[in-house]
Amino acid sequence: MKPLTGFDLLRPPTLVGALEMMATLEYAQPIAGGTDVVPLFRDVGCKPVHLIDLGLIPELNGIMEEGGKVLIGPTTTHAQLLASKVIEERAPALHDAARWIGSVQIRNRGTVGGNLCNASPAADTAPPLLVHGAEAQISSLKDARWVPLRDLFAGPKTTVLEPDELLTGLRFTPAANSGSSFQRIGRRKGFTLSVVNAAVYLERDGDIVKEARIALGSVAPTPIRVPRAEDTIRGKKMSESLLEEAASVCMGEAKPIDDVRGTAEYRRDMVGVLVKRAMREAWRRSGGEL
Amino acid sequence: MEYDKILSDLLHRDEYLVVGKKTVRTDALDKLLGRARFTSDYVPRGTMVVRVLRSTKPHALIRRVDASAALGMPGVFAVLTARDIPGENEIGYALPEQPFLNDRKVHYVGDPIALVCAADDVTAQEAMEAVEVEYEPLPAVLDIDAALANGAPIIHKENNIAVKTKIRKGDTAKGWKQAKVVVEDTYWSPYQEHMCLEPEAAYAVPDGVGKVTVIACMQSPHLVREKVARVLGWKLNQVRIIQALTGGAFGKKDDTGPLISGYAALAAVKTGRPAAYVMDRSEVMAATPKRFPVRFKYKSGADASGRITAVEVDITLEVGAYANRAPFWLWRQTAHACGPYEVENVAVDGRAVYTNKVYGGSYRGFGNLALHFAAEQQVDKLAYELGMDPVDFRMKNILRVGSRTTCDQLLDNSVGMDKCLAGVAAASDWAKHREPVRVGNKVKGWGVGCAYHGNSTSRSTPDWSAASLLLHEDGSFTYRTGICEIGQGSPFGHAKIVAEIVGASLETIKIEQPDTDSTPDSKPTHGSRGLMMGGTAAADAAIKLRERMVRVAADMLACPEAQVELRDSTAYARKKPATRIPFSELSEEMHARGENPGSYGFYTSPKRFFDEATGLGVNYSVYTFAASVAEVEVDTETGQVDVTKIWPAMDVGKAIDPLTIDGQIHGAISHGVGFAVMENLQLRDGVVITTGFKDYVIPSAMDTPEIDDTIVVEEAYKYSAFGAKGVGEPSIISIVPAIVNAVYHATGIRFSTLPITADRMHKALKEAGKI
Amino acid sequence: MVNFELNGADVSVEAPATMTLVDMLRVELGVTSVKKGCEQGECGACTVLVDGYPMTSCLILAPQVEGRHVCTVEGLADNPLMKELREAFMENGAVQCGFCTPGVLLSAYALLRDNRRPTEEEVKTGIEGNICRCTGYVKIIEAILDAAERIAPD
Repeated sequence: MKPLTGFDLLRPPTLVGALEMMATLEYAQPIAGGTDVVPLFRDVGCKPVHLIDLGLIPELNGIMEEGGKVLIGPTTTHAQLLASKVIEERAPALHDAARWIGSVQIRNRGTVGGNLCNASPAADTAPPLLVHGAEAQISSLKDARWVPLRDLFAGPKTTVLEPDELLTGLRFTPAANSGSSFQRIGRRKGFTLSVVNAAVYLERDGDIVKEARIALGSVAPTPIRVPRAEDTIRGKKMSESLLEEAASVCMGEAKPIDDVRGTAEYRRDMVGVLVKRAMREAWRRSGGEL
Repeated sequence: MEYDKILSDLLHRDEYLVVGKKTVRTDALDKLLGRARFTSDYVPRGTMVVRVLRSTKPHALIRRVDASAALGMPGVFAVLTARDIPGENEIGYALPEQPFLNDRKVHYVGDPIALVCAADDVTAQEAMEAVEVEYEPLPAVLDIDAALANGAPIIHKENNIAVKTKIRKGDTAKGWKQAKVVVEDTYWSPYQEHMCLEPEAAYAVPDGVGKVTVIACMQSPHLVREKVARVLGWKLNQVRIIQALTGGAFGKKDDTGPLISGYAALAAVKTGRPAAYVMDRSEVMAATPKRFPVRFKYKSGADASGRITAVEVDITLEVGAYANRAPFWLWRQTAHACGPYEVENVAVDGRAVYTNKVYGGSYRGFGNLALHFAAEQQVDKLAYELGMDPVDFRMKNILRVGSRTTCDQLLDNSVGMDKCLAGVAAASDWAKHREPVRVGNKVKGWGVGCAYHGNSTSRSTPDWSAASLLLHEDGSFTYRTGICEIGQGSPFGHAKIVAEIVGASLETIKIEQPDTDSTPDSKPTHGSRGLMMGGTAAADAAIKLRERMVRVAADMLACPEAQVELRDSTAYARKKPATRIPFSELSEEMHARGENPGSYGFYTSPKRFFDEATGLGVNYSVYTFAASVAEVEVDTETGQVDVTKIWPAMDVGKAIDPLTIDGQIHGAISHGVGFAVMENLQLRDGVVITTGFKDYVIPSAMDTPEIDDTIVVEEAYKYSAFGAKGVGEPSIISIVPAIVNAVYHATGIRFSTLPITADRMHKALKEAGKI
Repeated sequence: MVNFELNGADVSVEAPATMTLVDMLRVELGVTSVKKGCEQGECGACTVLVDGYPMTSCLILAPQVEGRHVCTVEGLADNPLMKELREAFMENGAVQCGFCTPGVLLSAYALLRDNRRPTEEEVKTGIEGNICRCTGYVKIIEAILDAAERIAPD
């Protein structure tokens, strides 16, 4: 492991201050909890860089309901997500995921924005937010725009953020008669990176699947939605065979690889298992019965 | 002295004061207050940092090492290579093939080449990166079959075999004829990494006039002293080694102790500056010794009545870059090869093979864990083939008093295997769980594992231990043992033994950290001998001192010596308990009379006979026996194996400290569960790629099974204090087989390799058409 | 300059951004109860309480505790809840090598402070981030449940 060297830490108290630093300094990089950044620096060494600590900026933290939407600040910690009644009720899949991220200690530091911007294909907050149709706000000194969350990811461990840009917000619109669920496979019961994960969001109209959204992690270069599977089940009557159909399409769409944590074959098979489990639970949470 | 009869014959009591009772460890409070110091807690700010420059090639000649750029950097004090070694460039444990610093050749990725000594971490890192090493790569040998192949590249010697073992007993040909069923399989037991929570650290201070003091993690201060003195070319009395409280060891620090102390000591002596060598987790994982991987080709047969008639085992131990403990490890596997069963016809052949990978070393179980993983599955298979209950089959074959072991050792004392097995079968309601139970997509199964483990050293290597005990004028005691506190509570066990014998209150006995300048050589803290051997030396010291205390007390109390009771740090006549002499007074009187207040305890294991040629004879002075039943629940959809409950039993000879015994069993279960279902050390081209807790997954609190109360069986060992036997290792050996046998029971799938990760379980279920 | 409160006292330390909280505590302030087991946030040996929340100090850069309250076991030496935990740990045999112990105690303290009668599952979750390789966790869990029982009996 390498010693930490060559960087400084700037702690702007305002967003515009942070954005100014991102725009004017060469090699500026945001940091919040540091649970991904610091270990990465220790593994591969540090680039000479200015770390911009976003932790003192109040408007980047917190969970709010406003204008029919749920807003989540990017420096909101996983502990805050887990403790939030709003998240538990409006985005249960995200609540599920928050429990499984890290340990108590990690959840007290790690942030949802950090998890998304680290952009691991296995990021646990990504599938739940993707299935809730979340949007991400990308800001620079020049402008601020909302994009579908899936457009944030460019590739493994890579986002579309330009050197002067920050993720400054997340939002989604909760709906009635909906339910969501997050499922994952780890290598032990205690905290561990997901070998494969999945989230499902369903809106129910009687026993019809009014809306379906499915997202998978660790089976592609980025977390992905599976529109083909969603189209297959949207508008249909819920049943065990519908679950099978969705699972089967997802397994086909998944393109996992072998790595130290698991094999491609296993990941593909587990996509099927997890999608079915997530669908069953999402349906139950939407008030439906199977 | 019949050490197991101390209570009745020497102390004339029927009840123990502290032995066998639940007592609070005297070192616990300091640890809870955060006051207890480990090696790196002693290192002052600004101490010179030592880093080890290690090979990046698995197998290569070293053509050139150029440290000139590094030496030119401000804050770099030295870059030491082989030619800077004043003594011998040799640190091998058993075989002299392990250079302290390599200058000719490197044998694995991580092999030490140079020591970089710098003012701080950042400078040391920069200097490390500036040292140029020119390698001439050699073909790397990355598996045992490649190593054994004709014309394989030579790592240390032709044929790449470090050592061989052999046992021939009876007539296996006859045994196969008698067998109704024969099962044969090949088992592969992989690396396991200890994951001691404290990474290794050593801190050395030179006195500038021919002595160096080293504080470090270790399991044997006298071994460390010997190795360090050899490298320095100094006399033993010029090297002072102090074992600091060690944050977990499990065998690893017995191997790394000499190396890390050597690096710090050489750096300190050559530069004249105090030196600290502190490892980080990734270095520990990449470069330090691990549980030896091993392949067993195991054939065994049983007759219609369920008696095992023959066992044939072929063992290929993967040693890695250096033999290290291999001769002893392979020997232990060879000598225990049948498992805890009496088998007349046995043939075992073993060989330890070099490869260009991180080398194997001591780890709790010392080869016996892997051996039982194979042997206990074979026994299970024989039972199933015969349609016999696995517990009943075992009962027909287990060792009892009067039995002979694999290597024909007659067990005449202290064999509690039957009680352990019967105990766990009863506690787990074994008879009610003969069929796996399906609940939804999960299936539950139960498995049993038996084990035996020879305590301490084998093949009549002289085994002894020493201790010293001082009674001070104020009635307090200082106890010294070279047995190291590594978490297991052995020295505290000694203190209990001493307290029992001299009647002292536990808190009046101060246990000093081992320091080669003043602590007797108790020999190493390994092989589950810390209490069994070290504790008996403690008993010897206590018995000698007690004799004088009793003599003086008898005189002070005007009563016969046989009437004197020593208890609660007072002396009194049994018939007149109201008149008590506190130890402060007794000791003052002893000092006034010129009665020696100190004693030196020494204990040697009884002499044993062993024939090197046949591999038969008395191998270990005593064996600890253990049995476990494991309950597992397999999620057939995901393949996840959940070890839900364990029922453990152990014949400990005599329980000195019940909480410590539980602690050893619980800790061993954790290592066993990890090894069985999640720990997966991975290498690619000879490089360890799982270099942290993130990718080398070990059990967390969430992964703890329910553990039933330990069934403690006490078949006292004649020759140890109160009859106590070793507990630390036997606790791990029956766990893994119980788990794999339970997985078989649940799923019908046998795993001949580990770990049984979810993806492997899932794949096996798929291939077996079960999902 | 990093100004913060450590165990109830105000401290000021010259600490660059490249120094982690664990190193600032151990090296600059001599608080060696906080241990380094992995420097990756995976083992919990470096656990401290920051504003009362358990965190792994190896991942916190020293300037990030500016103005905050940091607590280690030394700061809770006389705390009644911590005393119960220590008693329970001693009596239940929950201490072996002791390296994980300060970190485990802080996680357990935070758990019981906020949840007087946790279930066994909640205890396991509370100490999920503290790895112990010696005890197999059983006696640690029993000790924490025992301490909970003592401070809030049924």
